[in-house]
Amino acid sequence: MALSRKIAYIDLTNRRVRTAPIPLEMRKLYLGGRGLDMYLLYNHVKPGADPLGPDNVALVSAGLLTGTLATASARTHVAGKSPLTGFVGSANMGGFFGPELRMAGFDHLVITGKADGPVYLWIHDGEIEIRDASHLWGRDAHQTQTMVRQELGDDDIQVMTIGVAGENLVRFACVMTSLKNAAGRTGMGALWGSKNLKAIAARGRMDIKLAFPEEALEYNKEIITQVTSAKVSKTMQKLGTLFIWGTTNSTGLVRVRNFQSNQIPYADDIEPESIEEEMIGTAGCFGCQVHCRGRYFIKKGPYTGAYVEGPEYTSLGAFGAEVGCTTKQTVLVGNHLVNMYGLDTLETGSMIAWAMELFEKGILTEKDTDGLDLRFGNDEAVIEAVHQIAQRRGIGDILAEGPLKAAEKIGKDAIKYLIHVKGMSNLHSDERPTPALALNIATASRGSDHLRSRPAIDLYHLPEKVLRKIYGNPVPYDGPLTSDYRDYEGKPWEVIWQEMCYEAVDCLGICKYHTVFLGPNMPNFSEWPRLIQLNTGLELTSKDIWDCADRAYTLERLFNLREGLTREMDWLPDRYFDEKTDRGLPVVRGKSIDREEFKKMIDEYYKLHEWDEKGRPTKKKLEALGLQDEPTHKL
Amino acid sequence: MSKILVINPEKCTGCRLCEQVCSVKHERVVNFYRARIRVVKWEMEGKILPVVCQQCEDAPCMAACPAHAIARNPETGALEVNYDLCIGCRTCMNVCPFGAMGFDWVTNRVIKCDLCGGDPQCARFCETGAILYVDKAELSGIKQRKGAESLMDLMTKVTTAISAAG
Amino acid sequence: MSKKTEESAAKKVVKGRTSGQFRCLNCFERLTPPPGAKTFTCPNCGYAWRIYWFNPGEPRIRGPVWDVNEAQTQKSMAENKGGK
Repeated sequence: MALSRKIAYIDLTNRRVRTAPIPLEMRKLYLGGRGLDMYLLYNHVKPGADPLGPDNVALVSAGLLTGTLATASARTHVAGKSPLTGFVGSANMGGFFGPELRMAGFDHLVITGKADGPVYLWIHDGEIEIRDASHLWGRDAHQTQTMVRQELGDDDIQVMTIGVAGENLVRFACVMTSLKNAAGRTGMGALWGSKNLKAIAARGRMDIKLAFPEEALEYNKEIITQVTSAKVSKTMQKLGTLFIWGTTNSTGLVRVRNFQSNQIPYADDIEPESIEEEMIGTAGCFGCQVHCRGRYFIKKGPYTGAYVEGPEYTSLGAFGAEVGCTTKQTVLVGNHLVNMYGLDTLETGSMIAWAMELFEKGILTEKDTDGLDLRFGNDEAVIEAVHQIAQRRGIGDILAEGPLKAAEKIGKDAIKYLIHVKGMSNLHSDERPTPALALNIATASRGSDHLRSRPAIDLYHLPEKVLRKIYGNPVPYDGPLTSDYRDYEGKPWEVIWQEMCYEAVDCLGICKYHTVFLGPNMPNFSEWPRLIQLNTGLELTSKDIWDCADRAYTLERLFNLREGLTREMDWLPDRYFDEKTDRGLPVVRGKSIDREEFKKMIDEYYKLHEWDEKGRPTKKKLEALGLQDEPTHKL
Repeated sequence: MSKILVINPEKCTGCRLCEQVCSVKHERVVNFYRARIRVVKWEMEGKILPVVCQQCEDAPCMAACPAHAIARNPETGALEVNYDLCIGCRTCMNVCPFGAMGFDWVTNRVIKCDLCGGDPQCARFCETGAILYVDKAELSGIKQRKGAESLMDLMTKVTTAISAAG
Repeated sequence: MSKKTEESAAKKVVKGRTSGQFRCLNCFERLTPPPGAKTFTCPNCGYAWRIYWFNPGEPRIRGPVWDVNEAQTQKSMAENKGGK
């Protein structure tokens, strides 16, 4: 069965490996992937541990359905205590690593300690070797993958790796696989770097047995049709995730020049349709018929001839709107660089945009930047700043510390201009006109983030009836729900539902574009029980899956509380309340978030979660989920 | 009328769904390396090519088989291995110019595409059109049209360039 | 497992899909532009959109016709229709 895969405990300090089965009861409580990782995080990381010290734990996992006949079951989850925020570190990526890891016999890796020199792990058919990586240290993410494949003599090996940014402990370095798949957020690359862990290579020939192969095959076809017949999927097949720009920038929901406007007009060159002209096609992650990854060659400048995949929507902000640049060349090159260096594109762009506003305000001067002209819209300076961050040179060395630590180093009023929550930068989205999305970033367990709980379909003006159908399953909800994205009412439940939905797909190992994220009629709690049953034989109801997600999300909350999270941190930067949007459609223009209304939203959100007024899960809630005795150290 | 698998590498997104459904169809498990089709990639260069049996008219595997174990299925047109006759010498693997003859180390026998008895799952699941299952009679037409399209593109570019040059 | 009902759920969703239309981002009206149109003005609210056809017969908004929409918005803000 798919459920026979093991967990491996890898102690890098003593170079010891121990493996163990994963009990079925733990599957029924946490499914796999992010869910079990959160259990492991809460149980294996001591309170107050230094995120870059040997006491932190690097977790890697495949989801419950990764590699099975569940459409787009490509996902790999990476976790640990975040070097960026000090809270939950958790990031998810596509590609082909997760399925290969499963074929190699493992679902979960718990990597502890610190190696005395650079190492990489070689995982194949139930075996794990710790190998020397001195020759890989200093190599970019692409070179490393090629070198590992050559060294082990097998082109089918899948490799996860950090780039130079991770080695240099850039606090928002990511873990990469293939050309552009990144476990991007919360600085997991820095965590690996601190352990001297350069890469993990996997290759397996072990069967993934399915419970009902024939039925699973047919149901997979049905689900694929459900996904690919949606307009969002068809658009993504052509434009990739960039397509979102059409709605967000046209409406006025984009973060421009750090946070100084909410729309960038006449920027035709960075519109997805213009970037698509550079594309030679798109690529898909394992088993996916949406294939949203762009493929292109760089045609100008020092990287001419490089084959690149991407860019994603986030890079459109990082090297476009946020930094005030409007040429696609900058987006295409910036995307290439973050992939090679192994940097979180979103955090990188946000840090540069913030530095640019500080430069504009005179808080940073050319003296601080060694002459680097950090004016908004300076394409060359943006690209140079990426190099400096990854290599920790000049001002880049400060920016590499992430929002809060960099603000502390720069001092003055620098912190006022940060667009972050819990020490993690926001996407290039402006949530001032959209309270639901604002609540999402304020409360997300890994800091300001759109992939934890964003009710993106709130922007679609869906009829209440449709919203009730989606948000009323599997847990009944009879509170308010409205089609108007400017409303404060009813939105907390949307955020909670999305939290559970995204947690569930991260536990299952399915991509978010295959659930209710950008399309309302995508598979979700109604479809998953059957997918799970046909592929694994596990009989779970929609509500069981919801409870697994709730259990994992509650553990994330408990972890954060243990690390010092307070209610005040579930909040937005002051600028969301004090500055009004200056552009966009009439419905979004002149908008800011109302403090009182937002406070009420937080209260309602806590109440619906059964958390107390300080945001702590109540005893009753913990008991209902069976979490009252955690940590229980069962794994 | 017999049909055949046509591969359009430029449409392949490299997702390997074909490998997955092939292994499930034939072996009832997910195992890319036991599939009859293989998506070969030069990942860092962005090159992808799905490899599968071409069901050759004058098939080297059939000609070379010392046990005469490979024969064409008259209904589907697929070349199939008769495992009662196969002696497991793997000569067919050596002579196949496409590397489309595989070896399953679990069952210890050679494996190849049998067109799933007339409903090839790889083509059924491939929505990009990288793998098509088409009537042989339509084959020339499809290829001619594709050739003509790229020629027309080129001619349009040339004409535009000439008229632009005045 | 209630296999039958869930099977039809996935299929029903597919049947309910529409194409050839997009929603006006200002008034959310469903619009059907003529095939191949490069721009289209919403007959309901007067906002003009640049259209991209991601498939033959399937349009989406590429972006606003900036001047037209900005003028519309200025007018609307002056009349104080935008606020809530």
